[in-house]
Amino acid sequence: MLLSQPVLVAQNLASIIHSQMNPTGTIVLAGEGLCRTYRLGSTLVPALRGVDVEIQRGDFLVLQGPSGSGKSTLINLLGLLDCADAGRVLLDGQGVSAMSEEALADLRRDRIGFIFQNFNLIPVLTAAENVSYPMALKGLPDDEIRRRARELLEAVGLADRADARPDLLSGGERQRVAIARALANAPEVIFADEPTACLDTDTAAGVLDLMRTLNERNKTAFVIATHDPHVVARARRALTLQDGRIVEGS
Amino acid sequence: MNLWRLAVRNLARNRRRTALTGGIVVFGFTAFALAGGFMAQSLEGLREGTIRSGTGHIQFAHPGAFESGEFGSLEHGLDEADRVEAALRGQDGVAEVLPRISFVGLASDGVRTIPFLGMGLDPVPEARSMDYPKTLAAGRWLAGRDERGVVPGTGLAAALGVGVGDTVTLLATTVDGTLNALDVEVVGLAKLPIKELDDRYVATSLGLASELLSTGAQVSRIVVVLHETNDTATALTALGSSLRAAGFDLTGKPWQELAPFYGQVRLLYMGIFGFMGIILVTIVVLACTNAMLITVTERTREIGTLRAIGTRAAAVRNMFIAEGAILALSGCIAGALLSLLVRFVLNHSGITLPPPPGATQGSPLQVKIYGIAYGAGALVMLVTLVLASWIPARRAARMPIVEALTHV
Repeated sequence: MLLSQPVLVAQNLASIIHSQMNPTGTIVLAGEGLCRTYRLGSTLVPALRGVDVEIQRGDFLVLQGPSGSGKSTLINLLGLLDCADAGRVLLDGQGVSAMSEEALADLRRDRIGFIFQNFNLIPVLTAAENVSYPMALKGLPDDEIRRRARELLEAVGLADRADARPDLLSGGERQRVAIARALANAPEVIFADEPTACLDTDTAAGVLDLMRTLNERNKTAFVIATHDPHVVARARRALTLQDGRIVEGS
Repeated sequence: MNLWRLAVRNLARNRRRTALTGGIVVFGFTAFALAGGFMAQSLEGLREGTIRSGTGHIQFAHPGAFESGEFGSLEHGLDEADRVEAALRGQDGVAEVLPRISFVGLASDGVRTIPFLGMGLDPVPEARSMDYPKTLAAGRWLAGRDERGVVPGTGLAAALGVGVGDTVTLLATTVDGTLNALDVEVVGLAKLPIKELDDRYVATSLGLASELLSTGAQVSRIVVVLHETNDTATALTALGSSLRAAGFDLTGKPWQELAPFYGQVRLLYMGIFGFMGIILVTIVVLACTNAMLITVTERTREIGTLRAIGTRAAAVRNMFIAEGAILALSGCIAGALLSLLVRFVLNHSGITLPPPPGATQGSPLQVKIYGIAYGAGALVMLVTLVLASWIPARRAARMPIVEALTHV
């Protein structure tokens, strides 16, 4: 859905007013009127049709809905991995659409973390090196990187697996390494797309407990797209999407 | 984890593909180094062969002598050859000073008469610095500056039907236009590498040529042999200055100008080598680009992950280029070792190359260690691999992140 210019101006104005009404800055990320349409051959498939969403510091937000409802698309837009066709993403009240690729990459590195369904660890790096990678990208000193990687692996219960490569880790261990990697640069928001989908029930519960603990301890916001009712049950806030729109929750 | 360590680990990830791609680099580099070494060795052999076959490094003569041709140069002969020789001898870099009288005449055994190209020379220093005195097929080389003996080419001797110890009559026109004839003994037979020359050549002592042509102390040219071929240009300038200072108005010509075919052969070699190089580089580029494209395709999801967690597009591109550069450098090191091994085997194989056009003798196959070929080979392989990596790396870096993350 394309928004007219007056509507966009009004939304910008609303955003400014909204950010002024939240002087403590509790809203980290916001999406306003987000629309995204994909092209499948000659067919245009709308994935999001004007979604408004806010993510607060320390949030534990679950996005639920059937496959194709737009959960992953929303995560991609809010996580600065993709650009909306219409609407805008605001980080600390500032629009990101005009930012360069490099600036967006730096924002993802410093302020956003990702946990993927298939873990997506770098196979040639050990667990410790996978966790260290985002910090090395940021240019932190080696000593600090080593210390923090060790602390993060301890926090996810994998201190003794620091030197193991991903192919030697179980699914649950890989996902915990992925969580530690997502936390590496102390981001304000972590996006997790179906983080428990490839895990058995017990392991999934453990991973979920870990995310909840980190959320409460570090006040890191988690945004989780899932079909898993156990995850939904642990959410502080839940939004239900259907056909690219939020149909329940706020 | 720096870029290079990550690149090394990624290369070690698919050992078979890395080995195959590296093998192409090794093959390419080895071919480059060996072909360059063979070319350098051949050109150096041709250069020294040209110089040692009689041309020398520099020739001095009166202005106009070079235009009238070598065998007509007595019209512009040097009258004070002894003083010129003395002025040149002992100069820096000069190994030998060789006075020569070039002439044409007729050789006869009493039955057959055949035209010949005569060269009156000082036999002892010629034997020290030139190759043809060493190509004797029979008999001996001339012993002294005034010996009344000749060394004809084997082709001429065969045509005349004479051998060592036989007498032949040499007929030539003296400098004042009269016909003169001398009976001389064949003391040896030279087998010259160029057949046309072998069929016409006669070496005589300087004294005999002078007597036959009535030249007195006059010679056609003075040939200078240097210790080092690479010093030719500086020696030409220095010797020219010395001669002018001694009051001689002579023209000096370096061997390159006296033997223009060397430059032509060099250009031909460069053309062949360049053409082969282009084919080689094309094969390496295509093979390596293909391998890198497969690598990028296989790692598409990983590229998406790297981009998602904050790796800049340029860093992703650099990662693949680093892999290409490491592959090129390690391939060049292995290629250098392999080329040294192959060179050793070839140089000790005893293979003899067929004689070049116009020559009668082949030469042993020798491959030189040619530093420029190794350096150029390494540079070409590095540029080639970086280029072959850059194309797929650019594609990887530009891929939309979401598309890369969902790649199957």
